[in-house]
Amino acid sequence: MSQNSPLNQVLLHPDRRFGADLDAWLIDVGGDGLDNAITNPELIIPTIRDAKLLGLGGSGFPAHIKWEFVANESNDQDKYLICNGNEDEPGTFKDRVLLQETPHQVIEGAMITALATGINQIVFYINPHLTGSLEAMKEAVNQWDETQYINQISKILGRPLEFYVVASSGLYIGGEETAALESIEGKFPFPRGKPPYPAQSGLFGSPTLINNTETLSNVSHILRNGAEWFANQGEGEANGTKIFSLSGDVLHPGAYELPMGTPLTELIHNYGGGMLLDRKLKAVFTGGPSNTILTPKDLDVPLDFNSVQERRSSLGTGAMIVISEGTGIVRRVTEYVSFFANSSCGQCPSCKTGTYYASQLLSRIDSGAGTRADLDTLINLTRILPGSGRCHLLDGAMKLLDSSLYHFMEEYEQPLKL
Amino acid sequence: MNKTTPNGISYREALDNYQANRELPLPEPALENRQLLNHFHPDYIEESRATLQIGPNKGDPCHKQLAQLLQSDSRINEADLAGAATVKTDVLVIGGGGAGCAAALIAQQQGAKVILATKLRLGDSNTIMAEGGIQASINKGDSPQTHFDDTLKAGHHHSDPNLVAKLALDGPDVIRWLIQQGMQFDLDEFGDLLTRRAGGTSAERICFYRDYTGLEMMRVLREAVYNSGVEVWNYSPTVELLSDDMGGCSGAVLSSLKDRKYIQVSAKTVILATGGIGRMHLNTFPTSNHFGATGDGLVLAYRLGAALRDLDSFQYHPTGLAHPYHLAGTLITEGVRSNGTYLLNGKGERFTDELQARDIVAASIIRECQEGRGIVTEDHQAGVWLDTPGLELRHPGLLQQKFPKLMHLGKKTGTDLTQKPMLIYPTLHYQNGGVVINENGETSIPGLVCVGEVAGGIHGKNRLMGNALLEIISFGRRAGLVAAERRKNKRSSQLSIEHLNQLRRELTHSNLSLDCEGPLLFPEYAKFDLDSDYIGLHRNRRSHS
Repeated sequence: MSQNSPLNQVLLHPDRRFGADLDAWLIDVGGDGLDNAITNPELIIPTIRDAKLLGLGGSGFPAHIKWEFVANESNDQDKYLICNGNEDEPGTFKDRVLLQETPHQVIEGAMITALATGINQIVFYINPHLTGSLEAMKEAVNQWDETQYINQISKILGRPLEFYVVASSGLYIGGEETAALESIEGKFPFPRGKPPYPAQSGLFGSPTLINNTETLSNVSHILRNGAEWFANQGEGEANGTKIFSLSGDVLHPGAYELPMGTPLTELIHNYGGGMLLDRKLKAVFTGGPSNTILTPKDLDVPLDFNSVQERRSSLGTGAMIVISEGTGIVRRVTEYVSFFANSSCGQCPSCKTGTYYASQLLSRIDSGAGTRADLDTLINLTRILPGSGRCHLLDGAMKLLDSSLYHFMEEYEQPLKL
Repeated sequence: MNKTTPNGISYREALDNYQANRELPLPEPALENRQLLNHFHPDYIEESRATLQIGPNKGDPCHKQLAQLLQSDSRINEADLAGAATVKTDVLVIGGGGAGCAAALIAQQQGAKVILATKLRLGDSNTIMAEGGIQASINKGDSPQTHFDDTLKAGHHHSDPNLVAKLALDGPDVIRWLIQQGMQFDLDEFGDLLTRRAGGTSAERICFYRDYTGLEMMRVLREAVYNSGVEVWNYSPTVELLSDDMGGCSGAVLSSLKDRKYIQVSAKTVILATGGIGRMHLNTFPTSNHFGATGDGLVLAYRLGAALRDLDSFQYHPTGLAHPYHLAGTLITEGVRSNGTYLLNGKGERFTDELQARDIVAASIIRECQEGRGIVTEDHQAGVWLDTPGLELRHPGLLQQKFPKLMHLGKKTGTDLTQKPMLIYPTLHYQNGGVVINENGETSIPGLVCVGEVAGGIHGKNRLMGNALLEIISFGRRAGLVAAERRKNKRSSQLSIEHLNQLRRELTHSNLSLDCEGPLLFPEYAKFDLDSDYIGLHRNRRSHS
C-alpha cells in the first residue's frame, strides 16, 4: 500500500505491532494519551464525547454515555471495567489481532477509561481458544507494574488499580455483556435479565462497564491526538476507523482497518483483491452473522453504523462474509443458524427450541428432504420468535433467516420435495 | 504409445535371430545402475518434471501431468450441493480394492458403521491385476529384518523406516489372516506354502496362487465384504472431501452415477484407498492399471492440506505386453522372471540380470530399444523378447502349471508361448509415493486416513514385487482399527468445502489456470453415453491434456 493509503493507519499500524513489549510501545506513541489523561482526568469523557467514539463490538452505542453511567456511580465501592475479548462469532477475527499484536494499546485504553470513570478493577476477558492473545495479555499486564502509571492512577482513584486477565468459557454466548459477568463470577454464562443494568449492578453487584477490545484500543489515540483528529479519521459523517474482518469468496481475506464509512465495494475490491475467480457478488453476511443480509445493490453502502442501518442491516462487529454466485445461501444460513442453535444457552425456551427447530428445518430443506410445509413453518418462526429471548441471540438468528428468505426465496423452494 | 524411437531390428529379423534352446550367461553390466537410471528411466526425463507451486508440497518436484491435476480446480461449487442428501456413518472407505476392503472389514468387525464407496464396482481395482504374489518372511532362514533390509535397499533408502518395519513385521500375520478369510495359496506336497524369490530380494519370500494371486485375494475379500455389515456403494465416485472448521476431514461429497446426484457423507473417519495413477499414462506410457486408477485420492487429500511425498517416482513394470497394440501395457508377472525366464534383445542377446530391482530392469529394456537393439513391429511397437520358450525347454510344463493366466494371454494374442517369445516393454505400473502417513495410515489431516497405493513412504523410490499386496492388507487392517477407535469421537458439526476457497486463492495468486478440473475420476478416453454428461461430473466441459 502507498504511504497515502488509508489502510491500517491507527490500530493496526504495521510499525506499532510490538506484542508484549511495553518499552517499544512507550517509545513509540504509547503513554502520551495516558499522560494527557492523568494531567486532566476530568477532560477524558468530554473528549471521548466530542470524538463520538462508538461501541465497536457491534452495538454502535456512544461510548461516553455508557462511561458516564458508571462514572456517576459512587466511588466508595469497587468498580469494574471488562474488556470484552470473547470474540467467537463466525467471520469475526479482529480482537485477536489487537490483543496479541498490540496488547499495550488495549491496556492503555483501559487505564484511561478506568481513570475517567473511577474504575479500579480492570478485567481482560479473553476467549481461551485465542491462546496467542491470552498469553500476550498475561505477559503485557505485568509489564505495567514496573511503571509509575499504576501508582499515579491509583493515587487519583484513591484506591489501587488492579488488572486481571481472565479466560472466558470460550462459548459464543459468553460474549454477551451480562453473560460475561456470570462467567467471570465463575458461573455458566447465562445472560442476565435487565434491569438492573451492569452500570448499576454488574460484576459481583458492583457498577461495571463493559467495552469491546476495539473500542478501548481507540481511547489512547483519542487522548493523544484529540477529538478532532479522531473525527477526521472517518469518511463523511463517520468518525474514526473500523477494523473489518473480511472473509468468504474474496481473493485476500483478512482484517483491514479502514476509515469508518469506507464503501463496501472499496473494501472488497481495493483491499480484498476483488471477488475470487471474478465471480459476481451474491450477498454479504455482516457483523456476526446475525444481521440482515446485504445484496449487490448495497455495494455502495458506506460501512458505518448509520449508513448500514439505513439499509436495514447492521455493521455489527465489522465482519463481512462475502458470498459469490456459486455459493448456496440455504447452506450458509443453515450453517449459521445451527451455530446459533448450538450456542444458545438454553435458558429461554423460545430460543432453545426455536433455534434448534429452525436449524432442523433448514437442514432438511438443504438436504433435499424438506417440504412446502417445512418452509412455511420456517417462515412462521421468523414472525413469532423475535423478541422472545433475554439476549439478542434469537433475534439475530431470526433476522438472518428472515432476510435470506426475503432475498433468496427461490433457493429455498428449489430443493423442496414435491 | 512407446516413447522409443522405432529404430531397431524388425520383428521378422529378430525372430530369425532368436534361439530358445540355449543357456545364456549373465551379461556384464555396461553401465552403473545409477547411470542407467539417470539416462533411461522415465522418472528422470527432464521435460516431464515440474515444480509444485501451491499446497503443502510447494517447491517440490513432481511429474508434470500429476502437477497439473494437483493444481486443478474443483469440480464443484457450494451451490451444487443444494438439496444434496446427507448420510451419516462412522467410517467412509473410498475405494473398492484390497486396501479398502481390508480396512472396511476390520473397522466393521470392531463395531463401526462403515460405508465403502467405489467409483466402479467392488473389486474393480489394481489388486486383481497383481499376479506375482505377496511378500512375507515365513521361511526358515528368512526374517522380517531381511525383508526390511531388502525393501529399504530396493527403494534406494528413500522409504520411511518406521512404515517399512511395520510392513515387514506384519507379513506373516497377514498371510495367516488371508488364509483365515479363505484365500488359497500354492502349496507343496506337504501342504506348506510355496515361495519364490522376487527381483531385488535376498530370500524366497513370495507367497502366491498361480499367477493371479491378487485376483484370488480380491475374490475372498469381496465375498467377505458382501457378507459383512459393510454398506457398499458402487458407481459412486468421490468428487471432493469435506472439511470442518478445525481443518479436519469431516466426510466426502460423492456423485451417484446411477441417481445422477450428489450425496454428502458425514464420517468421523474417511479412509482413502483410491489406488494409483496408471490411467494418467505418464510420459505416454501404456499401463497395467485398471480403468479407475486416475490419482483421485492424491488430488482430494492435497486440497485438504495433506502433504505428499516422492511425487516424481513411479514404477514402470519391466514386462508389459508390447504387441498387439490393443493389449499394450497388460501386465506379465514378474514370477515368470523369478522362475528363470530371460529377457533378450533383437539380436537374441541377454542384456541384463532379470532379477534386479524393477527400475533397473525397466531402464535396461528402454536402453536396448533406444539404442537400436530392440525389436520393432510393423505398427511401430518396440520391445524386447520375454523368452518363454527357453523356460519351457529348461522346465517343461512349468508355464502351463504355474502361469495359466500368462498362457491365456498368449492365446489372446494368438501366440503359443512355449514356442514363440513374447514382445514386452515396460508399462506404467505403480505410484511409489503418495500421501504422507504414519504407521496407522493417519495423515496430517485429522480424520483422514490413507492406505494402499495412494499412501506414500513405504516403497521409497522403487517398490519390490509382492510388497504392494502386503501393504494393502497390513496397512488396511491398521487403518480399519484406528478408524474404528475414532468412532468414539464427537462428530464434527461442519460439512464444508471452504478449503476450496483457499485452493482457488492459491491458484489465482500463483497465476495458475483454473481451466483444469480434478479429480480426473475417469480416463479422458472413457466413452460414456451422452446422458451421463450431467452436472455431477461436468464431463466434456474442460480438458485435461
